[in-house]
Amino acid sequence: MSEQPIVVCSFGETRDGLPAGAEEVLHIGRGLAQTSGAPLLWVVLGPLPERAAETAGLFGVQSLHQIDDEKLKMNSSDAQVAALVAYGKAQVPKALLVHQTLEARSVAPRVAAQLGGAVVMNGISVSPIGENFEITASAYGGDTRAVYEVGPGPVLAFIPNAAIPEPTSADPVAAEPFTVDLSAVQERIEVIEPACFDGPRLDDAEIIVSGGRGLGSQDNYSLIEQLAEALGGIAGASRPLVDDGWVDSSHQVGLTGRITRPNLYVAIGISGASQHMAGCSAAKTIVAVNRDPEAAIFQHARFGIVGDALEIVPELIRAASAG
Amino acid sequence: MRIVVCVKEVLDPDAVNNYAVAGRLEIGADGKTLTQTAIPRLMNGYDEQAIEAALRLRDAGADFTLCVLSVGTDPDKLLKHAAALGAEELVSIQVDPSTLDPQATAKLLATQIEASGGAEVVFCGRQASDDDQGVVPVLIAEHLSMSVVTVAREIHIEDEALKITRATPEGDEVVRAACPAVVTITNELGEPRYPTASAKIKARRVKPTVVTPADLSLSADEIAPKVLLKQQFVPEVQGNCEFLEGDAAQVAGQLLEKLRAEGTLQ
Ligand SMILES: Cc1cc2nc3c(=O)[nH]c(=O)nc-3n(C[C@H](O)[C@H](O)[C@H](O)COP(=O)(O)OP(=O)(O)OC[C@H]3O[C@@H](n4cnc5c(N)ncnc54)[C@H](O)[C@@H]3O)c2cc1C
Ligand SMILES: Nc1ncnc2c1ncn2[C@@H]1O[C@H](COP(=O)(O)O)[C@@H](O)[C@H]1O
Repeated sequence: MSEQPIVVCSFGETRDGLPAGAEEVLHIGRGLAQTSGAPLLWVVLGPLPERAAETAGLFGVQSLHQIDDEKLKMNSSDAQVAALVAYGKAQVPKALLVHQTLEARSVAPRVAAQLGGAVVMNGISVSPIGENFEITASAYGGDTRAVYEVGPGPVLAFIPNAAIPEPTSADPVAAEPFTVDLSAVQERIEVIEPACFDGPRLDDAEIIVSGGRGLGSQDNYSLIEQLAEALGGIAGASRPLVDDGWVDSSHQVGLTGRITRPNLYVAIGISGASQHMAGCSAAKTIVAVNRDPEAAIFQHARFGIVGDALEIVPELIRAASAG
Repeated sequence: MRIVVCVKEVLDPDAVNNYAVAGRLEIGADGKTLTQTAIPRLMNGYDEQAIEAALRLRDAGADFTLCVLSVGTDPDKLLKHAAALGAEELVSIQVDPSTLDPQATAKLLATQIEASGGAEVVFCGRQASDDDQGVVPVLIAEHLSMSVVTVAREIHIEDEALKITRATPEGDEVVRAACPAVVTITNELGEPRYPTASAKIKARRVKPTVVTPADLSLSADEIAPKVLLKQQFVPEVQGNCEFLEGDAAQVAGQLLEKLRAEGTLQ
């Protein structure tokens, strides 16, 4: 049955000419296709991302399929499920891989249920064992890794955070349309007010300065914003600051917030709980400022400063502005 | 109207984290389970907030029966807490959780909901803090042909439909979903309330209805796991932190210098 493909599926938010996380999941898909001797397909829902054809070539995609339809706009989970189920029935994938966005979190399990496969979230890596797959996923907010075995035809969602090796150059793969009749789909959820975040996104940031409960009060969060600005980065936060209404949820870094991978992550007054680290441990360099020398954040940090945030941060702002 | 809330018992995630940070989180001889004797078991935090979401609808004047379901072996503590908060129906579906996966759990919950007369709204947590999967609610919706709205922070009933504010990473989004629907609750909903002492005493007498897979006419095959946990391990963190010494101005200067020397900063 080696003809059955490994399918990478991308949908939703597009940036830099590619859907979020597409390269990471294509990298995982290529590895899995190679080890299981299967062709790699890439299916894109919605308008074709600018860099899709070129990227498909770079990652050894055999066919790039595009399912485009009026109904596949953002917030179209019923249409997305219908499109992927139709695609899955036509291609009978060995495994279907997606990047784990909030959107994918509600689409993937439904596709799996309708195709009769298993579903696993929070995947980090995957390998074939016979006709089955072994997937390593994050659990307990990142405190542990769970290794699951799933049968053929699973839908697997990944939160990749390892660097992808620079792909070698290759010819682009032209997209072929794949038609699905979605005329019968009626979205059951109507968006009355869309989310309207239009600032720079933590996911794309090269430099992030995040504040935690150690800041003591909402007023002090402005220090985080000032340092972020002085360093040319953007400001993030740990969950308690969101829970307490100091900042809105688009600033939250972590398991249930943004998964970031900046060059530099500066954590101020953050203890380093696994659920927070899940959103920043892929940073190239982590700097921590914390009063407690035993704080877990120092286990992850490259540089550490033990001290009071309210004394250290103003000096950091001064030093950064002087640079 | 009937509202169902699904609650799961988990190991206290903060305690798990404290063990992990101290380098003392250990996996038992089976290679899968945490050696957990000192770690308290409690209701998944988001599930407490899912009960809170239902109670806020009640505060706002909605008239419904509140039914709380849990799949596990020892849900008494959880269900009594729910009773003290005002749940009228309590159902314990008795299955050893280590034999289940999210798909089987969802099948049990959906079958019970259907067999007991359905629900206009099913509230769940956005994810369980042990497996972090967030799959059970979506699969319950799929089994019951309900729509699913995730990460809700605020819910209103308007013209027999739900008006839900979702806390998305892009900011708040407001959606409208017809009932019946499954809604998952996120931490932005805010603090769950505590039951009063007298309500807690009264709840001690409440006996949850116990249901087995056989009562639901589910065969072993129908609740066989598709996702098998083979192994669990604690990932290593490298830990090569260089601590900077001196007064505030000195450490700040040193840090910027080092980051520039490494090319991390221009
Ligand atoms: C299912 C689940 C999901 C979660 N998702 C997320 C998530 O996405 N993101 C997230 O961040 N958290 C998340 N959490 C919460 C997480 O477990 C932690 O509780 C949280 O990250 C702690 O935030 P904190 O570090 O700001 O606060 P604390 O843990 O309270 O740490 C404050 C730190 O500040 C230090 N400090 C105090 N005063 C000062 C001072 N004056 N100067 C310098 N340092 C000082 C203290 O030493 C301490 O280390 C989640 C939890 C669960 C259970
Ligand atoms: N064993 C269970 N009993 C009752 N509800 C559950 C159970 N497992 C999961 N749920 C519900 O589904 C949500 C998500 O769980 P999970 O998919 O395991 O992350 C939880 O927050 C609960 O609301």
